Amino acid sequence: MSQLQRILHIEDDPSIQEIARIALEVVGGFEVKTCDGGAAGLAVAEAFAPDLVLLDVMMPGMDGPQTLERLRELPGLLYTPVVFMTAKVQSQEVEGYRALGAVGVITKPFDPMQLAAEIRALWEQWNVEH
Amino acid sequence: MSNTEQLKAQLAELGQAFRKRLEQELPQLVRQAEQLQDAKQVEPVLQQLQGQLHKLAGSAGTFGHAALGERARELEQLAKRCLTDPAAAGEARKRLREGLCQLPQLLNQSRPEPPDSQPLESALPDEQGQQHILMLEHDPELARQTSQTLSNFGYRVTTLEQADSLIAQLDSDQYAALIIDISPEVAGHQALGALQHWQAGRNTPLPVIAISTDSAFAARLEAVRAGARGFFTKPVDLTVLENRLRRSFEVQQDDPFRVLVVDDDQELAERFKAILDNAGMRVETVLDPAQLLKRMNAFQPDVVLMDINMPNYSGIELAQMIRLNDNWLRVPIIYLSAETDTVAQMAALLKAGDDFVSKPISDAALLTTVYARAQRARLVSEALARDSMTGLLKHADIKEQVELEVERALRTQQPVSIAMIDIDHFKSVNDNHGHAVGDTVIRALANLLRQRLRRIDRIGRYGGEEFVAVLPNCAAADAKAILDSIREAFSALQFSSGSKLFQCTFSAGISACEAPDWCLDEPLELADQHLYQAKQQGRNRVIGVLPS
Repeated sequence: MSQLQRILHIEDDPSIQEIARIALEVVGGFEVKTCDGGAAGLAVAEAFAPDLVLLDVMMPGMDGPQTLERLRELPGLLYTPVVFMTAKVQSQEVEGYRALGAVGVITKPFDPMQLAAEIRALWEQWNVEH
Repeated sequence: MSNTEQLKAQLAELGQAFRKRLEQELPQLVRQAEQLQDAKQVEPVLQQLQGQLHKLAGSAGTFGHAALGERARELEQLAKRCLTDPAAAGEARKRLREGLCQLPQLLNQSRPEPPDSQPLESALPDEQGQQHILMLEHDPELARQTSQTLSNFGYRVTTLEQADSLIAQLDSDQYAALIIDISPEVAGHQALGALQHWQAGRNTPLPVIAISTDSAFAARLEAVRAGARGFFTKPVDLTVLENRLRRSFEVQQDDPFRVLVVDDDQELAERFKAILDNAGMRVETVLDPAQLLKRMNAFQPDVVLMDINMPNYSGIELAQMIRLNDNWLRVPIIYLSAETDTVAQMAALLKAGDDFVSKPISDAALLTTVYARAQRARLVSEALARDSMTGLLKHADIKEQVELEVERALRTQQPVSIAMIDIDHFKSVNDNHGHAVGDTVIRALANLLRQRLRRIDRIGRYGGEEFVAVLPNCAAADAKAILDSIREAFSALQFSSGSKLFQCTFSAGISACEAPDWCLDEPLELADQHLYQAKQQGRNRVIGVLPS
């Protein structure tokens, strides 16, 4: 199984950006690139070549599902696992996101101390399945 | 700092920033709630509210405001109902309005369990103005000697013989430092693992000085792993040990590092600023390179972070301009660049500059590079400004301090005293014991002065065995009392030369700029005259200003 190292985080809320970055960099030891919207994320995605994308669902402009669709048009991101992050938790919604191609959903609010472990678990699960 | 501790500290900081943000945003939500009463144009307001509440529902809980987050989620659903179910809109809108108005109150009641509620440990002096040192040493004679010497320097020392109570002892008081004997044959050596573990649980590691009979690589490595800032092999030169102890406190109390960011991309510059600010550094940004040299002079940066590709100027040219000025030769310049071609990087470094960080750069890598460069630059420039043997100001600098402080005294009408101090019979110390021992005596007096005088006082090495101290806000009579107490402490210090023990004394003369005359033309000359009188009257004494 390959190592999870680089995470692209696309999120418009600066508070969430910062806390997720610290949670992932300090606790998880990952390398995180933060973008504050779908367009910015698409612009850097190929150059950054993330191992995993963490994508906020509700963003102004291009929302999470739209961003995911556009990410898949980039040759380098055809198979990169994407995890959605959202404040909505109804189970049929989670299934809906999975149907779109997300490997998992992190619900907000999240525990900053546990975020890295949750992401890692999703990563490992995805690796087993692929 | 361990990862967990670092994380807690960062989270606490973010939590505060988030609270500030809410303190601004929640009143805005209340204002929007008021707009809801105006029934004509509610739809855009509701949509905006729904978005904001959605965001709040996600973020508040993450920052520990669980109740606020829950309430925001309920209100978000309510806003949604207002938009989709016109039948229920009237009642739902009223409840939404009321709910929004209660949010600021909910924030006031919310006391998120801060991830880190401990104060930062620091080596601040205790009530008696003394720093408390713990010493683990099985040899009672060495423990006694060290304790004696360090208390002469003004420290309070607790000694411990048994290693098993070390951790309990460390937890029992706010120690400023630990001196530990880690010789392989003694108990302190076994306590190293526990010490390492204990250090990992602190916000700031406790300064540790290790003593050992073993000077091998492995022993030094173990010491460093347990957080050692100093390593001494037996027999220990206690004056040098004190010197190192003091330096380890100074590192902790240092000013924050100053970083100048030169980048024409304002957003990127702001981001770098945020990252470095967050790590406790002071950051200024220069967007217009024409302002660079002016800002260098005003800000006195420890490190320059320079974008290599800017319109009209290249970062390399700007770095070369900085290097034209002698004053800036010691300031490291780090290039930020998308350049990953090592040949091009080498070419840039040959012209000017010290390091490269390539974009995209992770925050952690940026921080590490800047921190390492700044720390090194700070050490180098301090070493250049100070007398190498004593770490005190050099002749010209202390003279300048005398002038500055006398001017200030005249301006503020606060007294200032100037003391000139000279070690008695120093030539015979050198003749009888050799220059190395003489140097130890000089360093001991320098340390003692530093230890006993205040932080605002200025101390310089004026000549070979001659010192000058400038004491602002201190009348001549007080200065004499202080110097007399230092004189007594100094005469009690035991110096060793081979197997012989000896003691030294000093004489001092004081001059002052104070009421009622406020007149002091030649402060150093007058202090020198009083010093001469002290020598004439038999040495080991302080002559102050004679009452007129």
